[in-house]
Amino acid sequence: MDHRPQAWGRPRDDVYGAYDASYLNNSGPRTVTQSPVVTGTSVIAIKYKDGVVMAADNLASYGSLARFTDVKRLRTFLDTTVIGFGGDVSDMQFLDRHLKELATDESYEVEPTLDDEDDEESSSSKPGHLNAANLFKYLQKLMYQRRNSFDPLWNQILVAGLDSDSKPFLASVDLRGTSFTSPSLATGFGAALAQPIMRKYAGTEEDAAKLTREQAVEVVKECMKVLFYRDARSLDRYSIAVVNKDGIELKEDEQLEKQSWAFAERIKGYGTQTV
Amino acid sequence: MTSIGTGYDLSNSIFSPDGRNFQVEYAVKAVENGGTSIGIRCKDGVVLAVEKIVTSKLLKPGANKRIATVDRHLGVVYSGMLPDGRHFVDRARDEARSWRDNFKTPITTSDLASRMGNYLQAHTLYQSVRPFGITAIVGGFDAQEELPVDGQVGSGPSCGAGGKNPDKKYGGPFLYMIEPSGLYWGYYGAATGKGRQAAKAELEKLDLTGEGITLEEAVKEAARIIYVAHDDSKDKEFELEMSWISGRDGPTKGLHQEVPKALREEAERLAKKSLDDSDDEEEEKKEGDKMEE
Amino acid sequence: MAMFSQNPLLNGPNYSFSEAPKFNAPEGARQHRFDPYTDNGGSTLAIAGADFTIMAGDTRLTSGYSINSRFHPKVFKIGGTTSDQSDATLVLSVVGFAADGEALKERLDAICKMYRYRHGKPMSVKACAQRLSTILYQKRFFPYYAYAILGGLDEEGKGAVYSYDPVGSYEREQCRAGGAAASLIMPFLDNQVNFKNQFIPGSGEGHALQERERRPLTRQEVETLVKDAFDGAVERHIEVGDGLQMMIITKEGIEEVILPLKRD
Repeated sequence: MDHRPQAWGRPRDDVYGAYDASYLNNSGPRTVTQSPVVTGTSVIAIKYKDGVVMAADNLASYGSLARFTDVKRLRTFLDTTVIGFGGDVSDMQFLDRHLKELATDESYEVEPTLDDEDDEESSSSKPGHLNAANLFKYLQKLMYQRRNSFDPLWNQILVAGLDSDSKPFLASVDLRGTSFTSPSLATGFGAALAQPIMRKYAGTEEDAAKLTREQAVEVVKECMKVLFYRDARSLDRYSIAVVNKDGIELKEDEQLEKQSWAFAERIKGYGTQTV
Repeated sequence: MTSIGTGYDLSNSIFSPDGRNFQVEYAVKAVENGGTSIGIRCKDGVVLAVEKIVTSKLLKPGANKRIATVDRHLGVVYSGMLPDGRHFVDRARDEARSWRDNFKTPITTSDLASRMGNYLQAHTLYQSVRPFGITAIVGGFDAQEELPVDGQVGSGPSCGAGGKNPDKKYGGPFLYMIEPSGLYWGYYGAATGKGRQAAKAELEKLDLTGEGITLEEAVKEAARIIYVAHDDSKDKEFELEMSWISGRDGPTKGLHQEVPKALREEAERLAKKSLDDSDDEEEEKKEGDKMEE
Repeated sequence: MAMFSQNPLLNGPNYSFSEAPKFNAPEGARQHRFDPYTDNGGSTLAIAGADFTIMAGDTRLTSGYSINSRFHPKVFKIGGTTSDQSDATLVLSVVGFAADGEALKERLDAICKMYRYRHGKPMSVKACAQRLSTILYQKRFFPYYAYAILGGLDEEGKGAVYSYDPVGSYEREQCRAGGAAASLIMPFLDNQVNFKNQFIPGSGEGHALQERERRPLTRQEVETLVKDAFDGAVERHIEVGDGLQMMIITKEGIEEVILPLKRD
């Protein structure tokens, strides 16, 4: 008898032959993410006079299955920055944890208070604190590094907050590390459906600087509605965040208001409808 | 210290015949020379304070902080050899981070104290190391409400994560003091360093065990105690450094933060005032005594 | 038979999972479906004059039919000693895959800065041009998918333009267009800068026709050419538009001009 612990509870070799462990061998090369699995759809954001408004719905889809309906895709960093994630949810979780670690590192640095007179200065522009623009650069480098190692984080990310001059900041980076800024930004379907609407109100930086907070929120809500009407992977419950020098106001369980499906009657040419 | 010169004080990991580890006792001496540190656990938070002796006019006021943040909800202050303290903080940060990596949730104050206690204790066992020349006071506020784990995306089941007794309260403010031997206890009020005796006497006068005092009261008491414990004859100049941690509904929103400038200055003003008042009283007393003579 | 014996096999499957043979693929080999590149559209243009160089690019950033941004500059000052690049002497334009372009720009900028701090003088265009080629070729088997043009003034103060392919092949030229509308702009430049296919009227028949003599263009003429080239490109290419960014390098410094283009 074989008394070695490895043999306990296993069929005897002399009766059944040695265990065939070949199925345990993954003989192919090491694999990394090759496509996203559980995904979030559009994130949209628009700049206004003194800040940025961002929104994303609370759905995480598994293909065409509406898998998780209370997923918060807007994340905050240090009460100064809002980060909106489209694409793979597990990669978003990874990044969220990573950002939490970064925020902890930031809290190690206690800035001197004995002789700083500018207490009223907003926290986003304090030296030694990562503002939205700094954080964005960091994320952009991270995403680009991951694409260079062929192990991308499958997301498109919007970052909103204030830059070093305390001006509204909004930028986007995707799984390839491509980054850009604009007065309004949208990921996924939002780029086709919401961006044209937002550009009506904030086509240029000058236009965006004239928008009030209320107007910006109104535009974003309108866009979320359009997205829900037309994007099959969207939801009518969403998160909306406003970020400015006073910090972040984040609401994570909003319901789309004043929906009207009257237009649906007039849609023709799809599915089984014949007349 | 009659045992000096017997050879039993030359190394860790060697007991003296009467069961003492002299290296540890010498480490305690190092602590007793350091600026006073105190911690107060009150009903809605924790306050840490330290008497930072100004060793040179060339040091920038307010720079060179002595109280460190270990995790967002945890702070540490220590008396003794400052470089040892810095290493203590580094290690504590590593522990807090690895806890988060493993469990996706913040380390509790007691767990951190336990791990750091073990770490200090390990430094009393080997010939190759010396014990830490510090006594550290660890303050933290463990979340009382059901918190999402790090990176959580959904809300989870509406009944919460489970495993908790609905009648019991969880979390709250905690305070631990860890000594060079690795010994640590939880405290209502803790003091170490030069002025620990005076500070302990003052701490004992506070109602910390019963009803408890509020965070703001604790800040003012902490400032006063540091001023009381300060020995003018030995060290002239010192700076008061204070930090606090409240619950999520409190002023720091569950984070370990430096006490705001305005509040600290107010606390210092009251501390100086109470010192002056008591001096006057004493003088009056003395004069009264003379009159009687 | 070893297989039926009670003793562990020397080479073959065994009880312990940890003894299972490891991956037999070469270390680090990977299989993928992920495409690391995209084309972000846009176009660039550089023309060297007698004592100046003009570098230009549109400011649109696209992916597919979407306009990602209407203001994403492609032309950068390189190798200044400060973050605002106010004392830079070189200009780099990149077009193609924007993330690679940006990475390339930041790398070259860092190298030029280090050169300047070490040697106490800015890098010459010639040296920088060779260095840029080396940077590109170092990534020969995972290239920066970017068409770079480097501009500046040479040691004699003459305008210099160096153009590159993504893997570092380069040459000095009088003018070069890059990116989406390169094929539209380049023939226009051949004709208007190098006077290709321009002959002196009545100078003969067939091969006897005499070519129009080349002459250096003035700054004014070049600026007009650049604007016309981009107006034409905007009209015919959907990935070009929104804004025109021009950097004019003279011995006085670098002047930046931003003009509107059609946003359709």
